[in-house]
Amino acid sequence: MVSSSPSPSSRSRPFLNTAVAADFGWTSPELLLNPVLICRNEAEKCLVETSINSIRISLKVKQADELENILAKKFLRFLSMRAEAFQVLRRKPVQGYDISFLITNYHCEDMHKHKLIDFIVQFMEDIDKEISELKLSVNTRGRLVATEFLKQFI
Amino acid sequence: MAAQAIHQFAECITCHAWSPDHSMIAFCPNNTEVHIYKFIADKWEKLHVLSKHDQIVSGIDWGRSTNKIVTVSHDRNSYVWTQEGQDWVPTLVILKLNRAALCVQWSPKENKFAVGSGAKSVCICYYEQENNWWISKIIRKKHESTVTSIAWHPNNIHLATTSTDGKCRVFSTIIKGVDTRGSQGSASADWKFGEQIAQLDLSTTWAFGVRWSPSGKTLAYAGHSSMIYFVEDVEASPAAQNLALRDLPLRDILFVSERMAIGVGFDCNPLIFAADETGLWSFVRYLDERKVTPSASKASQLSEALGKLYGQSRQGSSDTVEPSKPRGGAHENCITCIVPLRKGSETIIKRFSTSGLDGKIVVWDLENHVAITK
Repeated sequence: MVSSSPSPSSRSRPFLNTAVAADFGWTSPELLLNPVLICRNEAEKCLVETSINSIRISLKVKQADELENILAKKFLRFLSMRAEAFQVLRRKPVQGYDISFLITNYHCEDMHKHKLIDFIVQFMEDIDKEISELKLSVNTRGRLVATEFLKQFI
Repeated sequence: MAAQAIHQFAECITCHAWSPDHSMIAFCPNNTEVHIYKFIADKWEKLHVLSKHDQIVSGIDWGRSTNKIVTVSHDRNSYVWTQEGQDWVPTLVILKLNRAALCVQWSPKENKFAVGSGAKSVCICYYEQENNWWISKIIRKKHESTVTSIAWHPNNIHLATTSTDGKCRVFSTIIKGVDTRGSQGSASADWKFGEQIAQLDLSTTWAFGVRWSPSGKTLAYAGHSSMIYFVEDVEASPAAQNLALRDLPLRDILFVSERMAIGVGFDCNPLIFAADETGLWSFVRYLDERKVTPSASKASQLSEALGKLYGQSRQGSSDTVEPSKPRGGAHENCITCIVPLRKGSETIIKRFSTSGLDGKIVVWDLENHVAITK
């Protein structure tokens, strides 16, 4: 990836940071490629947006019921708050998605490409697993609490 | 293995160039400096650090006959470095750009150099004896986006460029007082400075890595949609061949002979292309035999970090993910630069070097590839 965007400020910034880009008056639509949307269904999708010096990957994870919805929201918020620990994670997801990654040319210079890919894939797999595990433990706990509570009526 | 030597010089290398006798190498370790190393007593030693630029150095070229180094940087300036005794003396070349300079190349006669930039323009710089100063003339208005790569035709006049608007263009760079008119045959003499000779509109997306074949008959460039284009007879009646690649896109190309080219890019492994007797180009194979390492199920560093954050329970299950494509090749990350190691005046290049985002410089030798060099 090159940091060759024709930006007025000679400092290169991720091109996909559209809010920032607009501030700097970037008007070079040819430096953005067509975004790719990968869908399993309406609830589970992945958007990949590419630009000359950065790539943004946004995920929407499966939320089958109310409980999963709350768990996903809380869990991804927990991760987003620690975004700097993950480097490529964004604090705020793209609208309509649960979590976003922004990989810039600087990340590609520091890290191996295939390891970055591994990380994203692993992340996607683990999120699903983590949420179903959390759901299970919430249910177990609920059942336990209910049993304990109802014992007094026996 | 075709990789003759692998040198890990830095974390990441933006570009590199060799001295005329190949004993020294100049490269930019992804910062504002240019380091010059010399091979002394079987190890590389740092001889000079050229630090004059304010931002990342994006292009280096070392003149083969003049022994001058030209560097360009994101700070929009260029320096021509001349060796005086033990030191390298810089001369500032003001390019008059308002965006970063991205690539630079000496013309074959080394009396001019061209700079591609993010300002949608190309600078042609030449030395003016009277004023003791490098002059920059700009070709404006033709490019609709950043110029990613430039290549000089062997006739010292034609310059090919690729741009992120997907087009490949050929310009005349004739400069009064520098180039003698008519010396290159009648056809090229009629063009004025900055005139567009041809525009190739083959790619639908960004174009990179333009190169001429040694004779200047064939032009090759790469498109970001994983395509490589070979164009014959650009000036009069262009005939193009489009080759779609199976793998990731290319960033740079090098012609080793009239009928063979090497492409490098995001695949971390050089690709060999060859033309048959009829001039039909095709992909031959990867240059580097990839050693298939048994995939010991170790998770990447990042996922280990993630595992730590998740708690210990995650770490046990992290080995369920197979690491994608274990790299067995010489390069571990995207290759961005390929430079020939030309001996004397030979037309067929047998050795070349590549550098990339992994900070390695790999010297490749085609000599042992009997099937290739024939």
